[in-house]
Amino acid sequence: MSLLIFGLKPGIDFTGGSMMEIEYTDATLSSNEIQERLFYFEIGKAKIQETGEKGYLIRFKDVDEKTHQEILTALDDPEEVRFESIGPVIGKELTQKAQWAIALALIAIILYIAWAFRKISKIAKKGESWRYGLGALLALFHDVIILLGFFALMGYFKGAEINTAFITALLTVLGYSVNDTIVIYDRIRENLLTHSFKTMEEAINVSLNQTIVRSLNTSLTTLFVLLVIYLFGGSSIQNFVLAMMVGIGVGTYSSIAIASQFLLFKRTKGN
Amino acid sequence: MEQRNKLWTIFIFIFVIAVLSLLVDIPQLPSWIPGNAWFSKQSIHLGLDLQGGTQLMFSADMSDIPSNQRTSAIEGVRDVIERRVNIFGVTEPVIQTAKVKDKWRLIIELPGVKDVNEAIGMIGETPILEFKEQGPDRDLTQEEKQRVEEYNQKAKERAQDILGQALVEGADFGTLAKQYSEDPGSKDQGGDLGWFGKGVMIPEFEKAVFEDLAVGEITKELVQSQFGYHIIYKTDERVIQQEAEVEGEGVEGSKIEIEPIIEVKASHILIATLTEEIAKQSIAQWQYTGLTGKQLRTAFVSFNPQTNQPEISLEFNDEGAKLFGEITTRNVGKPVAIFLDNVPLSIPHVREAITTGRAVITGDFSLVEARQLSQRLAAGALPVPITLISQQNVGPSLGKISVQKSFVAGILGFIIIVILMTSLYRFRGLLASVALFIYALIVMALFKLVPVTVTLAGVAGFILSLGMAVDANILIFERIKDEERLGKPLKAAIDDGISHAWTAIRDGNITTLIVCFILYEFGTGLVRGFGLTLGIGILVSMFTAIVVTKTFLKLVTK
Repeated sequence: MSLLIFGLKPGIDFTGGSMMEIEYTDATLSSNEIQERLFYFEIGKAKIQETGEKGYLIRFKDVDEKTHQEILTALDDPEEVRFESIGPVIGKELTQKAQWAIALALIAIILYIAWAFRKISKIAKKGESWRYGLGALLALFHDVIILLGFFALMGYFKGAEINTAFITALLTVLGYSVNDTIVIYDRIRENLLTHSFKTMEEAINVSLNQTIVRSLNTSLTTLFVLLVIYLFGGSSIQNFVLAMMVGIGVGTYSSIAIASQFLLFKRTKGN
Repeated sequence: MEQRNKLWTIFIFIFVIAVLSLLVDIPQLPSWIPGNAWFSKQSIHLGLDLQGGTQLMFSADMSDIPSNQRTSAIEGVRDVIERRVNIFGVTEPVIQTAKVKDKWRLIIELPGVKDVNEAIGMIGETPILEFKEQGPDRDLTQEEKQRVEEYNQKAKERAQDILGQALVEGADFGTLAKQYSEDPGSKDQGGDLGWFGKGVMIPEFEKAVFEDLAVGEITKELVQSQFGYHIIYKTDERVIQQEAEVEGEGVEGSKIEIEPIIEVKASHILIATLTEEIAKQSIAQWQYTGLTGKQLRTAFVSFNPQTNQPEISLEFNDEGAKLFGEITTRNVGKPVAIFLDNVPLSIPHVREAITTGRAVITGDFSLVEARQLSQRLAAGALPVPITLISQQNVGPSLGKISVQKSFVAGILGFIIIVILMTSLYRFRGLLASVALFIYALIVMALFKLVPVTVTLAGVAGFILSLGMAVDANILIFERIKDEERLGKPLKAAIDDGISHAWTAIRDGNITTLIVCFILYEFGTGLVRGFGLTLGIGILVSMFTAIVVTKTFLKLVTK
């Protein structure tokens, strides 16, 4: 929901633009003063955000090096902690490439899972194994949407942006979630092959009970590690780690509640 | 017993790998360890986002270059920039080329370079040197014709204006000519053309000096010729007697006649106009020949033996010498242009094929200019123009804080894993922790050896693979517990537990590996780095979970 309401804040990695982080050593300009001084440059409306006591994070249109230097001079030559300027073309390319890579990765996941679980098709109906691939994918979509939603909220309240680091976190969560789902599927597969259950429901239930300890243990261990990194790691990776924590929490849940239930969903409908 | 021995062999193997990894990992080894120099030399490559520095992205303009030569052209750009960056002493610069659809990119990472301006300057100063030959003629486009006309119109207005000045009482014609005339031959002599008779000058000019003007007069109107608009000042006139031999057949008929010849002396100011012919020549497309700054071996200042003017001597490498030979062979009698930074620097006519691999750029250089230019060229010249399209600068302080903090966080995270694993699985958990420690050692060593540039995304990949390594251990232990509950003896429980956990570990890891491969192959920069570190991590984690944990477990259970 928050995704729909607040939308996402794409970072300059994707839209193109400039981001400048500056720090004053002694005398500090107020953000209004900065706004005024930037007014004469043709850089669109600058967004200014305070960082710490004497620092600012300023975002504006992508500029060339000359303008960049002029802006610095206009702002009384503060220390420049970071400066990025990305042309809109590059931003678009990055987005496209990332989208392609992720889409391909997802397709590969479905294909591999369907193949790995092909034995299921032999004892159950034909085409059954595709259901596993789709189930895993559904769980993934669920994770992604929740994670995006969470960041839409963060973006609205704390100004967190969707940048490339966030995309990596997303990828990590996807990898994690797939792994989680596969472990559960693996148990279901094994149980179906070795035991005989009256209903699919029973098979899934038994398998879930068998794997839940492992799922929780793994997630908890990972979450603890991430928590430590969140608390003690540098500020530049905090948002990134936060995204991973949310994603992994959600990923564990989705493997149990969505991926497994999906195996049943169509079946009950079909029968 | 046989099996036991095998286990010990594997154990020793694991031990050796772990020790070797440890040696690679430790930044500075004590000197008594053999090969310490090599081990200490291996260092972790931190990405810009962690280390601080500057990333510049340039796009290369390939529009002039035939498509089959573009790859070699961009490689040339990379080599030149690399040489240049090395001269400036940047440690471990990373220079990559990338092709996105039909666009060619050059990505330059300069760790530790804080001043973007300086960085851009030092790369931007790299000259672009190209040798071009004339392409086939083509007709002017409508737009170009219009541009020619506009140019001529402006020339006329200018000429009119100068004429006005020249006609003012007491105006110094010579000074005006020096200032405005566009006739390079007479300009410096104040427009003076010297003495000449009839039949030397173009008709329009002749009419003016021989018919219209009296000595000391300046044309009232502009005189238009094929060269442009002339303002003519007739300065003198004389009659000379010249002996002309009239040829006759007979000996008697042959006689010498004296004929009076009128000669005039005149000055002029020329404001040149363009004809379509000239325009055609100047736009006659200069074509890429493949000979560029890439094939330049060295450049130095020399002096023209005739004029004593400074020149720039170029020496090509073997490839360049061969190309230059071919170009000059097929262009004998035609011009070949030497372009520097997109501007034709000199356009000499080729008199004969040159196969020595040497060329000379003559031009209106001062000694200082010639020296600067030759130094720039010697440092490397680009085969194609490049423009900056994106820059990224991370302050080293930000980078440094992140690394230190993240390092502490990593160690703390590992301690937490050890505590959790031990409390959950007791002694086995401790064994798993040792296995994980070995895992971390190997991965770090691989990062150094491959080498992998560790970025934030790389760290993420590492964390994920660590999570999966932990997960593999947990899976195995849970499975062993299950088997124990079924009442199997410990040894059988371990064997079955591991073999049952294997399918899950295999499928999970293979799926992830496939994803890694795709991300690495199709992703850019960060996504790619993530894929690489995750992939390495997964492979090592499969090794540690299956080989290391298994061996440990079996060794401790008799």
